[in-house]
Amino acid sequence: MPERIDFWGIPHTWGPPEVYAYGIMGLASLVLLFRLYQAVSLWWRLGRSEKRWDQLHIRVWRLIKYAIVQVRVLSQRYPGVMHIALAWAFFVFLWGTILATIHSHFITFLRGNTYLIYKLVLDLFTLVFLVGAVMAAYRRYIQRPRRLTLAPRFTYSLVLIVVIVVGGLAVTSTRLAVERPEWAWWTPFAWLVGQLWLSTGASDQALLNWHLGLWAFHLLSAATLFVTLPMSTMLHVVTGPLNVFFSKLDRPMGQLAPQPQTSAGEPLFVTSLRDLTWKQLLDSEACTECGRCQDACPAFAAGTPLSPKELMVDIRTALRRDGRTLLKNGNGSDKVPALVGEVVKDAILWSCTTCGACVRECPVFIEHVDTMVDMRRQLVNEGRMDSMLQEALANLGRYGNSFGQSERVRARWAQTLETPIKDARKESVEYLWFVGDYASYSTTLTDITRKTAEVFQKLGLDFGILYDGERNAGNDVRRVGEEGLYDMLVHRNAAVLSRCSFKAIITTDPHSYNTLKNEYPREVLDGRPVLHYTELLDQMLASGALKFTHRLGYTVTYSDPCYLGRYNGVYDAPRRLILATGCQLIEMPRCGDRAACCGAGGGRIWMEEQAVQERPSEARIREAVKLDNVQTLVVTCPKDVTMYRDAVKTTGYENRMAVKELIELIHAALC
Amino acid sequence: MHIVVPVKLVPDLVEELVIDPSGTTLDPDTLRLQLNEFDGHAIEQAILLKERGGGQVTVMAPDVEGVDDVLYTAAAKGADRLIKLCGNFGQSVNNHAMACAVANLIKPLQPDLVLTGVQSHSDLDGSMGPLLAAYLGFPYVGYIAGVTLSDGRAVVRKEYPGGLVAEMEVVLPAVLGIQAADQPPRYVAFTRIRQAMKTASIEEQTVEGLDVSGGPTVSRMYKPEAAARATMIEGKPDEVASRLVELFRELGVL
Repeated sequence: MPERIDFWGIPHTWGPPEVYAYGIMGLASLVLLFRLYQAVSLWWRLGRSEKRWDQLHIRVWRLIKYAIVQVRVLSQRYPGVMHIALAWAFFVFLWGTILATIHSHFITFLRGNTYLIYKLVLDLFTLVFLVGAVMAAYRRYIQRPRRLTLAPRFTYSLVLIVVIVVGGLAVTSTRLAVERPEWAWWTPFAWLVGQLWLSTGASDQALLNWHLGLWAFHLLSAATLFVTLPMSTMLHVVTGPLNVFFSKLDRPMGQLAPQPQTSAGEPLFVTSLRDLTWKQLLDSEACTECGRCQDACPAFAAGTPLSPKELMVDIRTALRRDGRTLLKNGNGSDKVPALVGEVVKDAILWSCTTCGACVRECPVFIEHVDTMVDMRRQLVNEGRMDSMLQEALANLGRYGNSFGQSERVRARWAQTLETPIKDARKESVEYLWFVGDYASYSTTLTDITRKTAEVFQKLGLDFGILYDGERNAGNDVRRVGEEGLYDMLVHRNAAVLSRCSFKAIITTDPHSYNTLKNEYPREVLDGRPVLHYTELLDQMLASGALKFTHRLGYTVTYSDPCYLGRYNGVYDAPRRLILATGCQLIEMPRCGDRAACCGAGGGRIWMEEQAVQERPSEARIREAVKLDNVQTLVVTCPKDVTMYRDAVKTTGYENRMAVKELIELIHAALC
Repeated sequence: MHIVVPVKLVPDLVEELVIDPSGTTLDPDTLRLQLNEFDGHAIEQAILLKERGGGQVTVMAPDVEGVDDVLYTAAAKGADRLIKLCGNFGQSVNNHAMACAVANLIKPLQPDLVLTGVQSHSDLDGSMGPLLAAYLGFPYVGYIAGVTLSDGRAVVRKEYPGGLVAEMEVVLPAVLGIQAADQPPRYVAFTRIRQAMKTASIEEQTVEGLDVSGGPTVSRMYKPEAAARATMIEGKPDEVASRLVELFRELGVL
C-alpha cells in the first residue's frame, strides 16, 4: 500500500534529516517572526489608536471572502486568474506541508487512497501554479500594463516562488524516477517530468544524488522565502489579509471619520506619520501595487499628479524611512520630511474627486479617500488652497452657498412656478425637499429644478422646501477638509430642520443625499428616511402612484453619480425609471459600482482646473458616444448636468449627445 | 514693531440694498455688513510683516453687527490685540469725525506703523488713511501694494494708474493706505476662528468726542433710475462734430 515516507532518500550521514530540516526552517521562522514583529511594531507603535477589533465574526467572514477566496481579486479576469492560481497553489502547498507534519508526528493517515489523492491534489496544483507563474511573467514582461510597478523587487518574488515550486517538482519527480511506483500516474505531472529524468539514462544512484541535491536546494529556497519575506513584496501575504480583517465596519462608505482630537480635546491635524492611525499606516503596508486603484482613478486618467497607488507607496516609503526616527524622537522636533506637503504634495491631495473608485476596487480594502481627507484638513487649516476654492469656502461660510449669492435669493427659481411650493418651516409637509446649491442657484439648472417641482406637484406629493433657511448640506465642504465649516453648516441646517414637521427628506443632489443620510446627527432625522428623488419615484412606480402617459422611445445610457451609486448603492431605481419612461437603456462599459466620475466631486468643482490631458467628464462623454444609437446621456445629479453639458461642447459632440437629468425624461413622459 | 490696523465694516453688496424710508441712508434692518475688502488686505499685510520680522499687531474695528467675527478672524490669522470701538455710530458719522476720534485712541498705543485699507465703498468724505495721518501727524502713502521694513523705515510699492509702480521709502511711524497685500488674504479655517474665540479676548474702548459737524450730508439716496436721455447724433463725422459743439454750447458747457 502506498504511504508517505518521511525524508525519503535523505541519508542519515549528518544525523537524522529532521534535525537539520527543522533546524533550518525553525531558524528561518524565527528570523521571519522577528522581522515581522519589527515591521508590525512600527505601524502599531507609531500610529494613533483606532478601534478595529469589534464584530469579529464579520471580520473573519471578510477574511475568508476577500483574503482566501479573493473575490475582489477575481473581479478582473486575467490578473484575477493569475493571482488565484499562485495564491491557491500556495495555500494547497501549505496544507500539504501541514498534513505531512501531522502524518509524521501525530496521526499516520497519508496512506492508501488518501495518500494518492493527497499526491494528486499537490501535483495538480503544481501545474496550476505554473500556469499562474507563466501568466504573471507574460503580464510583467510582455504586456507590461502601465498600472503595474515594474521594479526588480517584484521579479525577485516571482523568481523565488517559481524556484521553490519547480524545486519541489524536481524533488518529487527524481524520487518517482528512482522508485517508479505503481501509483506513479496519481502524480501525473511529476511522473511526466520523472520520465525526463529517466530519459537521461542516469543510474538510480545518480538520480538519488540529484534528488538529495535538489532536496537541499528546495529546503534552502523555502528558508530564503521565510527570511526575506518581510522585506520583499511577499510581505503582502501578511499585510493584505490583516488589512482585510481590520477593514472599516463601524461606518458606511459615505461617512467620513470625524476630525481626530488630541487628548486635550483640541482638533488634531495630520502633519506627520504619527498623526495617522495604525490602520492608516497598515493600509500603506498592505498595498500590493497591483494598480487597480490607479486604473479606476479619474484623476490619474486625467493626468493629474494623483495616483492612489503611489500615494500609498509614498506613505509606506516614508514610514520605512522615517518611522524609527519618529518613534525615537517621541513628540520632539522632527528632522524628517513633513508628511503633508513633502511626502505627499499638496497638488496630489487636491486632485482627488473622492469618487471612491479606488476604495471600491482595492482587493485589500485600503481606504485611500479617508486618509486623503485627513491630510486635506491640514492643508485647509494652514490655508494652503487655490484662490477659487478659498473664495468658495468663504462664500459657503458667509452665505451658505458656494455661489456667493445671498441666501435670500436661494428659492428665486420657485417664483415662476404656477403653483407655489409650501414653506416647510411654516407648514407641516410629508416630504421635505432639500434642494441643494447647484439646483437652487445655477442659472443653467433652475429650469430642471422647476421641472422637478412640477413633477412632484403633478404626482400630488405633499412637499415643501426650506426657502432661505437651507444651507449647503456640506458633503463636499467636509471632503475638501473644512471640518469646522462643515460643522457650522450642519448646525445651521439641523437648527432649521428641527423646527420643521416632515416625514422624510428628499434630495435632488446625491452629494446632499449622502451627507444627510450618512453623516448628519441622528437626532436631526430621528429615524425619518432620506431619499433621493429617484428612490421615491421608484417606490411610487412600484405602488402604481406613478404612471407615465407618454413613451419617449429614446435610446439612452445612464451614468451613475458616485455619491448615489458607489457610495449609497442606488443603482436600480434610476434604471427602472428610465425604462418606465419608455426609453431603451444601453450601459456604458464602466457602469454601476464601476461608473466613472465626472470630476466634480470632493470640492473639485470649486477649484481651479488643473493642467489635464483629458477631463474626466470628457472621457465619460467619449465613452458614451461609442455606444451605438445612444443620443442621450441620462444623469441624476445636478453637478453631472453642469459637467457633462460642458463636456459635450468641449468635445464637439454637442449635436451627437444630449445630456439630460432623469427628471426631464420623467417630466416629458408625465406631462 | 507695533502695527495698528483700524478697519471698518461696509455694506455687503451681495445683498439687495434697500433705501431707508427717510431716503437719505440705507435701511439698517436689511443691511448686512462685511469687512471692507481693502481693510482685509491691510490686516493681511500687517500679519505678513509680523511673520517676517516679528512685532505686534493690533486690529481695531467699530462695534457694529459682525464685528466680533471680523476681530476673531484677525486673531486667528495672528493679530495679537483686538479692540472694539464702542460708541454711537449712526450713519451720519463721517470719516473726518471717525478719524479724529480713532487717532486719539491710536496715539497712546505708540504705533510704528498704521495700516488701513486705501478706500472703502462707503467713504463719502475721503478715505480714512490720510485723515488719520493728519490727526496723528504721521506721513501717509496710499495705493500701496507691498511693504518691507528695515531700520525704522518702510519701503513701499505704490501703484499708479497706467501700470507704473514706484518704490519709495517712508520714515516710521507712518500711515499706509493698502490697496493689496503682498499676498492675497489667506483662508482661515473655521476651527482656527473657533480656537481664537476661546483664547483671544476683545477689549472695548469707547470712542468719545465724535464731532459729526462739518462732514457732507446726504440729501437724497436713490437707486440708478432708468431714463431715456440719450440723443443719437447721426451723419458724417464733420456734421456730428459741429452738432456736438452746438449741443455743448446749448448746455452751457462750452
